[in-house]
Amino acid sequence: MRTIRPASSLASVSLRPRPRTTFICHACIRSLGKRYASTSAPTGSAIEAPEIYDVVCVGGGPAGLSLLSALRSSKVTSGLKVALVEGQDLSRTRTWQLPRDQFSNRVSSLTPASVGFLKDIGAWKHIDTARVQAYDEMQVWDGITGSNISFDWPTGSTSKTIAYMCENLNLTRGLLAHLDELGGFTLLDNSRVEKIETGEEYSFSSADNSLNLTGWPIVQLSSGKQLAARLLVGADGANSPVRTFAGIESRGWDYERHGVVATISLEGLELDLSDFSNTVPGGAGKATRTAYQRFLPTGPVALLPMPGPFATLVWSTLPSHAALLKSLSPTDFVAMVNAAFRLSHVDLAYLHTLSSGQLEEVSWREKHTAFDVAKIPARATGVQDGTVQSFPLRMRNADTYTGERVALVGDAAHTTHPLAGQGLNQGQLDIQSLARTITYAVEHGQDIGAQLSLESYNAERYAANNLMLGVVDKIHKLYATSFAPVVALRSLGLGAVNQLGPLKRFFMEQAAGTGKRL
Amino acid sequence: MSSRKVPCLLRGGRKWCNGPSGARRSFALSSRKTSSARILNPDNSFATKSLGNSKFYTTTNPRSHSFSAPPNGAESNYTTVDPREVAHFNALASTWWDPHGPSRLLHLMNPLRHDFIKSCLDSAPLPFTYPETPASASASVAGPTASSAASSATSEPSSAGSEPTSASNSSARKLKYLDIGCGGGIFTESAARLSSTLSATGVDPTPSVLAVAQQHLSQDPVLQRSGKLKYLNTSIEQLPVPKTDDERVDILTLFEVIEHIEHPAPFLEKCMPFVKPGGWIIMSTIARTWTSWFTTKFVAEDLIGIVPRGTHEWERYINEPELRGWFAKQPGWGNIQNQGVVYVPGIGWKEVQGSEQWGNYFFGVRKDD
Repeated sequence: MRTIRPASSLASVSLRPRPRTTFICHACIRSLGKRYASTSAPTGSAIEAPEIYDVVCVGGGPAGLSLLSALRSSKVTSGLKVALVEGQDLSRTRTWQLPRDQFSNRVSSLTPASVGFLKDIGAWKHIDTARVQAYDEMQVWDGITGSNISFDWPTGSTSKTIAYMCENLNLTRGLLAHLDELGGFTLLDNSRVEKIETGEEYSFSSADNSLNLTGWPIVQLSSGKQLAARLLVGADGANSPVRTFAGIESRGWDYERHGVVATISLEGLELDLSDFSNTVPGGAGKATRTAYQRFLPTGPVALLPMPGPFATLVWSTLPSHAALLKSLSPTDFVAMVNAAFRLSHVDLAYLHTLSSGQLEEVSWREKHTAFDVAKIPARATGVQDGTVQSFPLRMRNADTYTGERVALVGDAAHTTHPLAGQGLNQGQLDIQSLARTITYAVEHGQDIGAQLSLESYNAERYAANNLMLGVVDKIHKLYATSFAPVVALRSLGLGAVNQLGPLKRFFMEQAAGTGKRL
Repeated sequence: MSSRKVPCLLRGGRKWCNGPSGARRSFALSSRKTSSARILNPDNSFATKSLGNSKFYTTTNPRSHSFSAPPNGAESNYTTVDPREVAHFNALASTWWDPHGPSRLLHLMNPLRHDFIKSCLDSAPLPFTYPETPASASASVAGPTASSAASSATSEPSSAGSEPTSASNSSARKLKYLDIGCGGGIFTESAARLSSTLSATGVDPTPSVLAVAQQHLSQDPVLQRSGKLKYLNTSIEQLPVPKTDDERVDILTLFEVIEHIEHPAPFLEKCMPFVKPGGWIIMSTIARTWTSWFTTKFVAEDLIGIVPRGTHEWERYINEPELRGWFAKQPGWGNIQNQGVVYVPGIGWKEVQGSEQWGNYFFGVRKDD
């Protein structure tokens, strides 16, 4: 599975095809070995010289895999020598499989723009689309005032999909399959990054064999292997080691909220097992599906459709509430999910004080609460075992996405509140932009790692992401209050937005990634 | 030989002067003097310097060979390099590759040079096919992907696997570049990196900028080891004139050079024999207009200082019709292409149709095959 190459030599920096021959004398190798042994050799054994790559991507998540797919599938960039470094064993992703009535709890909302990109690079055909669910309506309302905004497309417009719900593992497995098909890259999974250092000029006794890697990032893996990167891409998540190496600060704040996720089954829908359509994402001839989100003072709770009678829950709430939700029995947990879309925030606050017995409390209280059945999701009937988990929510944006021979993408560059479902899509837009930037650089003979070559990537993505993060952050803050005047204003706000077709359309197009690029 | 005509291209639009004395006279007339050396000049500095007025070209003696000889007949001593220019660019050497330094505008312009070359090549097919050199057949900057092709591809070891490096159209022949006045190597290096390039040679008379170019190349060991790029610290006059087409190049480039040349006509004539039939001379320079004086001298150098002061001598700028007119008289050259470009602060270089008449422009002329 992995392709750690046999002891590679400095010869591999030559442009000549398959330069398997070693042209360094043994003394040189020894001196090189000592040099590395003195600085970084974990085992003390003789060390290989760094192997030079055009692109070293650290991180084998959706962002890293998408970048590699994009580079490998383009004629212009397919000649680049690329490596992917990933700490996990990716064979587990490759072989990931679930029955059709079970879903992973890590699901992302892919905008049509992101899906279009995945199609362009040829990866979408490797996605199991029977596990993907499209939705074309959004119901969003204020948990305190009930003020409503429904985001369906105006009648007359051809059916438009707002987003596709896709399990992250379905996506990464598909990207890996696509990469396996393309080949031509070095995969170093199960490899921890031990350290990243700046290269220097390595000289050997023979003048011909000096190697000036001044300014090149040298990635050292737990295996002892060293990679010199013309361009080092940090797709290594929110705690990005690549970002730390580049000395790029990441700023922002924690929301003091956790996102509780779970896979939920809903009443009144059936899973059409006969449908194996691989052409229409979320095919299944499914009736129009709707995404629901209710803004509670503790944070928004969202129920997003999955194929058949399933949905994925993303409930942003206080860490203590998240802890309680995770501790509940499945029946009580399901009752709380139903309550989250039906009961008042006062009732909900009380329910969070009980360690059990929510089921009875909720069914009793529901009878005394008025809600519009048409505007809320179908009743939750069950929760898939082992899918209730939580993670802290943060807002971060790196000071810059590029440095000398470094580019940051996805969560390494920015993290956002999940309320708008934009996190992964922002990463996909990063990848598109970076791939475009690299393509332009290759076509024009630029050094793809030079900061000048990377400028357009930073220019395109920094401002756009910053704006998106800001908007999402403001929405979170606007709704994370029960302060009466603000509530009154925002009620007016949502109500007003609902009356304004063009504005609503703008919001929806942003959500779908089809609007003017922010 | 000394009686041969030499163009006096300095200010005032003087037409022709006879021999070295004429040349000296023209120096005296100009406000700057110094040696009778002319310029070859280091790449970059995107604009500038003078040529006489347009009358010069329109009255050029079509017998081009007659004025390509050195003014004093001493072939080996003759040079188009102006020492003042050499000194100026020596001073800029250390910042050549600073992306925010004085050469930033050149770095930003560089991709457009490639685009223009491509448009020229697209306008007329290259006539010859030469054997492929396998060593440089890789599009990879770092070299072929070697065993990685066998990499993770557990599934199909398919198409791409075995031939990961054939990104470029391998059937097209690879090009040889000669970059006169290469400066710090901004263009030469980028040309050498292209998968479609067989070799690129940069030539510059200014030792310190060439040292910068060499130093910068050494920081890309992959490119260095490819052997595709070499630099020569010399002037065009010192280069042995090729005797066969094999020794000639497909693309001879003069980027931001001609406006630093005191006597462009003999300089261009020096360049011509280096080009293969069907090959191109590609240059960029700037028109000598009030607009260009205002933008390159007053705004760029004096007002906002994005270009080092003294980089340009507006009087040496050459207008597109002058170049066009001159090349029209050169037997065996044609298919003239041009493209005006404008730098828009905050946006970058943009192609602007018609701007070749008043600002920076590219100019390409093809040697007949």
